[in-house]
Amino acid sequence: MADNAKPKVGFYSFSGCEGDLLTIIHCEDELLDIFAAVDVRSFRLASSDVHNDEPLDIAFVEGSITTNHHAALIKGIRERSALVVALGACASFGGPQSARLGYDDWEKRFKKIYGDAKLTVARAFESQPIDEFIKVDCYIPGCPIDKHQFFFALTRLIKGMPVEFPSFPVCAECKWNENECLLLKGELCLGPVTAGGCNSRCPNYNLPCVGCWGPTKEANVASEINLLKERNFSETDIVNKLRLFGGAAMVRRFADLLGIEPQGPLKKVRSKKEDKHKPIVTAEVKKVAVPKGTKTKPKTKVNAKTGKKR
Amino acid sequence: MIAKNQIHTAAPSANPFMPEQMRIVRRYDLTSDVRFFQVRPMDMERALTFANKPGQFMMISLPGVGEAPFSISSTPSRPGMLEFCIRKVGRLTDQLFKYKENSIIGVRGPYGNGFPLEKMIGKDNLIVVGGLGAAPLRSLLLYILDNRDQFGKFYFLHGAKTPDEMLFRKEFFEIKERDDLKCLLTVDDDPTGSWPFQKGRVTNLFGKIEGLDPDNTYATVCGPPVMYKYVIAEFLKLGIPKHQVLMTLERRMHCGIGKCGHCAIGSIYTCLDGPVFSYWDVLHMKDLI
Amino acid sequence: MKALKLKKGDMYTYLESLKSYGELWGPVSRGDKYVYGKLDNVRDVALEALRTIIPPKKFFVPPRFNMFRYSDNKFTETFEDIKPRVLFGLHPCDIHGIMILDELFLDRFPDPYYKKRREATAIIGLSCTPDDKCMARSTNTHAVEGGFDLAFNELDEDYLVWVGSSLGDDLVRLNIDLFSEDINTGDLQKYLAWRRKRNARYKLNFDLTGMPDIMELSWDSSLWQELADRCLACGSCSMVCPTCNCYNVRDVSDLSLSSGVRERYWDSCMNMEYALVAGGHNFREARAERLKLWYTHKLKAFITEYGKPSCIGCGRCIDTCPVNINVAEVIRSLQGQEVKV
Repeated sequence: MADNAKPKVGFYSFSGCEGDLLTIIHCEDELLDIFAAVDVRSFRLASSDVHNDEPLDIAFVEGSITTNHHAALIKGIRERSALVVALGACASFGGPQSARLGYDDWEKRFKKIYGDAKLTVARAFESQPIDEFIKVDCYIPGCPIDKHQFFFALTRLIKGMPVEFPSFPVCAECKWNENECLLLKGELCLGPVTAGGCNSRCPNYNLPCVGCWGPTKEANVASEINLLKERNFSETDIVNKLRLFGGAAMVRRFADLLGIEPQGPLKKVRSKKEDKHKPIVTAEVKKVAVPKGTKTKPKTKVNAKTGKKR
Repeated sequence: MIAKNQIHTAAPSANPFMPEQMRIVRRYDLTSDVRFFQVRPMDMERALTFANKPGQFMMISLPGVGEAPFSISSTPSRPGMLEFCIRKVGRLTDQLFKYKENSIIGVRGPYGNGFPLEKMIGKDNLIVVGGLGAAPLRSLLLYILDNRDQFGKFYFLHGAKTPDEMLFRKEFFEIKERDDLKCLLTVDDDPTGSWPFQKGRVTNLFGKIEGLDPDNTYATVCGPPVMYKYVIAEFLKLGIPKHQVLMTLERRMHCGIGKCGHCAIGSIYTCLDGPVFSYWDVLHMKDLI
Repeated sequence: MKALKLKKGDMYTYLESLKSYGELWGPVSRGDKYVYGKLDNVRDVALEALRTIIPPKKFFVPPRFNMFRYSDNKFTETFEDIKPRVLFGLHPCDIHGIMILDELFLDRFPDPYYKKRREATAIIGLSCTPDDKCMARSTNTHAVEGGFDLAFNELDEDYLVWVGSSLGDDLVRLNIDLFSEDINTGDLQKYLAWRRKRNARYKLNFDLTGMPDIMELSWDSSLWQELADRCLACGSCSMVCPTCNCYNVRDVSDLSLSSGVRERYWDSCMNMEYALVAGGHNFREARAERLKLWYTHKLKAFITEYGKPSCIGCGRCIDTCPVNINVAEVIRSLQGQEVKV
């Protein structure tokens, strides 16, 4: 990006509720500043004057990819954009429409709802996050996104800096806001394993965290599952809750824990993508099996320093 | 980043978190990814009275980017300028490399304990440097050279991977010519055949050390982590007591003044009680290295 | 130290008088828990409150605040205007917590943000009756001899009021007619009886002498990995701990791009990126290492440095950690006692 020229940006929407773009358009106090900072070439919620064939410095994309038409469009956006940013839970992890990712029974589900209806406009398939189709440079998660995180990311991207969001989970901000712990009150709350940045939006209203920011880098999902089981939640409820917004992130990183053998689109991803968390996950799987109330004594001695078995 | 010709006479803020404005006077590349920065406080009075100890560090602040700790490479015996040699490794250094001469940056410090000069004076000294270890140890090297009559015998051993990766090449070549110290330079590898001296690991140079009085010697090492084990073994072979074997350690020094907690090791903060530690400290404090 | 007496029935009247000095804050209920809230109506005060969700440290280091503004290359301090305020209802353990923070923040390189808030705040203590999560007797923080301006001690129909500072004396004078200096041997007997009764209430009693040695000897214990397997790394323990002082800073740019703020926010050593340095090396990548650091700070490091643990026995970690990792359990395990998992 040249120093003087304003970066050209575009806002795009695929399958989703458009809530992330609405979050931006609702920034009444900051909207003029956004338009002053960047040259918005495409934003259909803001203006019908869209230019969808120009090179862009940053493309913000919300929504998941559900048809071959979408897939072609997102590839086109990638080709003409220096940076592509996934905006919101759907673009980042697939969103609630990807809660069944990895089961490979999409056609059966489609039939159940639509019967023998023929699709004429485009070929539809299992809803997937955009990084199943293109390389994504930055993720701004959330359902919907938090405007302050969007501003933070925008300013860093314009300056050519990496976007590092704080790595604490929802619990940290939830404590700052002095909420009663819903997990301890017996609710199915995903706060401890979910990335913060939402200012504990749901617990502030006495609603348990649904995990829409996706899992933290270090999410100890195994321990969370154990804990919820001890609180008498069924495995189905726990897994469904984790997958509702966790989508692809849950399947890619914690399939073993969730008891799924990824099929379909996500299968290739798991073998292709480097998964830093895999060793931790396999170590934790064993822990899940420990029955409630049993004193934990590791069978092999673990060197606390290196984490290696000896 | 165009420097404005305004004069800042304000003394450094009483608030230790407030960066002080300094101007980049000179910058040039030492290697493909390491750059030398010479900076000066905006106020001349402050520039001339600024005093650091070799081994201390400063926090460099870039507005909108953040802050990070950097060893001071210059010596207080040459006042007026502060020098850093900085490798491009992350968010802050990526941005810092975009700063041109005359740009203004935020700096605060100096922080950390620095080398125990009061104890080292009058003693023999042996400095061993590998790679980027030159950044903090150049300060000590130049300090000893500038106050040569206050110190005993002086050995300076320097190892680099290749001649191209050697920092301060011209300066160290000149120092090698001096007869008031023994300066030994080596490279592991010489792909272009341009290296005029010995080749091999820095530990190979220890054979050329003679006449040091081990009980009265301070041995200092800084370099890549793999180097410490071997170099310290050589120090101990020479008979230098463990508390006189010195090294500077890296940790996440986020505030520099013992408040933010990130560089805590046991009951100490690296930023306050370090970054200079003796081998004895390392041995009796778990977790130090 | 001067002692006075205040009739229990006069408490609300006196709290109202304190407002002429500044904003009045104290424990108020939130659901089944308590928080320190502003007492616009003094009758909202929860005198029965034992521990608040987060400790009073929030008054001196807010969870998130701006340290300064930058504009181009200039840095300008941003000090929030802190009005004089009275913090009422702090139990002895929390007062000890503040004294520990004072050591951390006001010792070498005093932190002006902390100092300013601290100096604007009057501290009024209040005695308490421990529950099964309190362990302040073990940490020797169940009584206070300093660190407060006034301290109220329940005594049947009265409060025994200790005046701990010159400011405390000024606060008494805001409504001096309510206080009596008539303290007799009967009061002494009541006070001693109250102490005996209270001390007997502590269910968690540990001998913390030698903890640094025990920690040192447990360096390679498998305990740390066992805890790490369970630990959610959520950092809640740090957020609620009265003596956890770690924080992070980050620059947040305005949309104008040329100006912005340096923001400071609470951090936890349980955060994976806690010891991550530029270039990608993480000095404490393993969760077990970070847990060990947390407990080293509470049970070893501070004892080595200041001669007392930095755990003040408030029981907040016991009350907060969803997977029951807390000071009591770690001490029990390290001392070889029965552990409930």
